Amino acid sequence: MEKAHEKTRRHISKLALDLVILLLIGMVAFPLLWMALSSLKPSVELFKSPPTIFPKAPTLEWYKSAFSDMTVVHYFINSFVVAMATMLINVVFGTLAAYSLTKFQYRGRKIIVIGVLSAYCIPPIMLMIPLYRIIAGMGLSASLAGVVIGHLTVTFPFSVWLLMSFFRKIPNEITEAALVDGASDFQTFYKINLPLCVPGVLSTGILAFILSWNEYLLSSVLVSRDTMKTLTVGLANYISATEVNWGVIMALGTATTIPIVIMFSLIQKHFVEGMTAGAVKG
Amino acid sequence: MSAKAMSLANGRARKRNRLAIVFVAPAVLFLAIFVMYPVFYNIYLSFTDANLLKKNTSFVWLKNYKRLFSDPMFWKYAYNTLIWTVFSVIGQLALGLAIALVINRKMRGGTLLRSFLLIPYVIPAVTLALVTKWVLNGDYGIVSLLLQKAGVIAHRQSLLALPKGAMAALIIVNIWRSYPFPMLIYWAALKSIDPELYEAGKMDGAGTMRLFWHITLPLLKNTTIVLLVLRIIWTATYFDLIRMVTGGGPAGSTMHLPIMIYQASFGTFQTGYASAISVVLGALLFFCIVFYVKKTGLDD
Repeated sequence: MEKAHEKTRRHISKLALDLVILLLIGMVAFPLLWMALSSLKPSVELFKSPPTIFPKAPTLEWYKSAFSDMTVVHYFINSFVVAMATMLINVVFGTLAAYSLTKFQYRGRKIIVIGVLSAYCIPPIMLMIPLYRIIAGMGLSASLAGVVIGHLTVTFPFSVWLLMSFFRKIPNEITEAALVDGASDFQTFYKINLPLCVPGVLSTGILAFILSWNEYLLSSVLVSRDTMKTLTVGLANYISATEVNWGVIMALGTATTIPIVIMFSLIQKHFVEGMTAGAVKG
Repeated sequence: MSAKAMSLANGRARKRNRLAIVFVAPAVLFLAIFVMYPVFYNIYLSFTDANLLKKNTSFVWLKNYKRLFSDPMFWKYAYNTLIWTVFSVIGQLALGLAIALVINRKMRGGTLLRSFLLIPYVIPAVTLALVTKWVLNGDYGIVSLLLQKAGVIAHRQSLLALPKGAMAALIIVNIWRSYPFPMLIYWAALKSIDPELYEAGKMDGAGTMRLFWHITLPLLKNTTIVLLVLRIIWTATYFDLIRMVTGGGPAGSTMHLPIMIYQASFGTFQTGYASAISVVLGALLFFCIVFYVKKTGLDD
C-alpha cells in the first residue's frame, strides 16, 4: 500500500520534471525558431493575422534580396575581419600572458592578475568616450583597427582569465621535469605546456570571435564611415528605420546567428570546463 | 653551494623571469593604454567642458556634476536603472538556480540539455532586439496577438508602446539573455556539494524542500554573493538591448544611465557632461568591482 503510493508519487514528480524540461527547451527555442521560420515565410504569410506557425510555401526570397545588397555583404565581411583579428590577438597574447601569470613567480605578478580581473569588470559604456577620443586621436576612426582595439578591451581580460584556468590545470611537475632534462624555458612552454592546452586555447579564441561578432556598442561608436560598419551596427540601423523590412531583417538575423550557435556548440564543453574552474570562485 | 653554482642558479632564475616578463608585457601594455588609462581620462574629462563639436576644452571643475545632480531627469533615469537592475538580476539568478537544480539531476541526455540551455549566452543582442520587436509588433507580432486576445493590451497595441510594459518586456528579454552564466556557476557549485550531506538529511527524515532550504541554499551563499555583485555590474551598465529595442522610450520610461551617457555624448555632443554621468555610475559600481576582485582574485 505504502509502496504503491510512493511509486505514484515518484511517477508524478518524474512527469513534472519532464514538463519543466520541455518548457525550458521551448523557452530557449521559441525566439530563435520563430525568427528562422519567419525568415522563410513569403509576405502574405509573414503579415497574416493570426499567423501560422510553419511556412506553407517556404521561400528564400528574403535571403536573396538581403544578400543582393552589397552593403550587407560588406557588413558581413567587416564583422568577419574584425572578429578574426580579435581572435588571433587574443589567442597569441592571451596565451603568453596567461602562461606567464600561472607558471612563473615574480614581483608584480599578483598586481597584474588583479589588474586583469579589474579590467574584466570595467564595462564598455565606461570606456566608450575615452576610447572614442583616443582612437580618433590615433587617426584610426575610419578603419577597422579602431573597432578591433575596442573589441580587445572587452574580450582580452576575459580571455586571459579563462586561459589561466586552463594552464593552472597542467601540473607544475611536468614543467619541472622538462627543465631538469635540460629544456629551455621557451621549449617547456612551446613543446610541453602549449600542446596540452590546445583545446583550451582554441575554445578561448572561438569565444573571443563570438564576443567580437556580437559586440554592438563600441562597434557603433568607434567607426564613422558607413562602409566600415559591422553587421550588428548595420542590422541595428535597419530595425530602427521607419520602414522596417521585416522579411529581410529576419533573414539577416538568422544568418548572423546560425554560425555563432554552431561555433559555440563546438566549444561549449571546454567553455563549461574553463568557466566552472576559474571564472567565479564562490 | 659553491659561488659558481649559485651564480648559475641565479642566472637561470633571472632568465626565467625575463621570459615571464616578455610574455606578459604586451598584455600589460595593452590593458594600461586601452583600459586603465581611459578610466582616468574619463574622470579627467568629467571636469572639463569637452564637446564633440568644439576643438578647445577648458577645466570647469564640478560644473558637470552640479548640473547632473540638479537635473530631475538624472534622478528619474537613475531610478529606471535601479528597477532594470534589481529585477533583471533577481530574475536571472532565480532562473539560473532553478535550471541548475534541474540539470544537476542525473538523466538521459543531461549533457545535451545543458549545452542547449547555454545557447542564449552567445545570442547577439541585435538578434534578440529584432525578435523582440517582431513578436511584440502591434499588428503582426505573435506575442502581441496573444496578449491582445487575453485582454492584457488593447487591439493593435504593443507592450513596447506602454511605459511599464516596455520596461517589463525588456527585463524579461534580458533575463532570457543572461540566465546561462548564473546557471553554469550554480551548477558547478551544486556539483561540489557532498552527497553525504543529503543522505544524512534524508536519514533524519527531511523532505526535498527541507533539504533544499537547510543544506543547498546555505552552501550556495558565497556563490550567490559573488554572482550578485558581478551581475549587478554587468546589468546596470548594459546598453545594447534597451538601445536597440526602445532607445529609451516611450517617453523616457526605459531610459537608464547608460543610454543617458550615450545620448549626452553622441546625441548632444557634450562629452564632458557624459563623462560625469559615467563617473557617477562607475563610482556606484566601484565598490562592487573592488568586492568582486577581492573575493575572486586574491586567493590566486
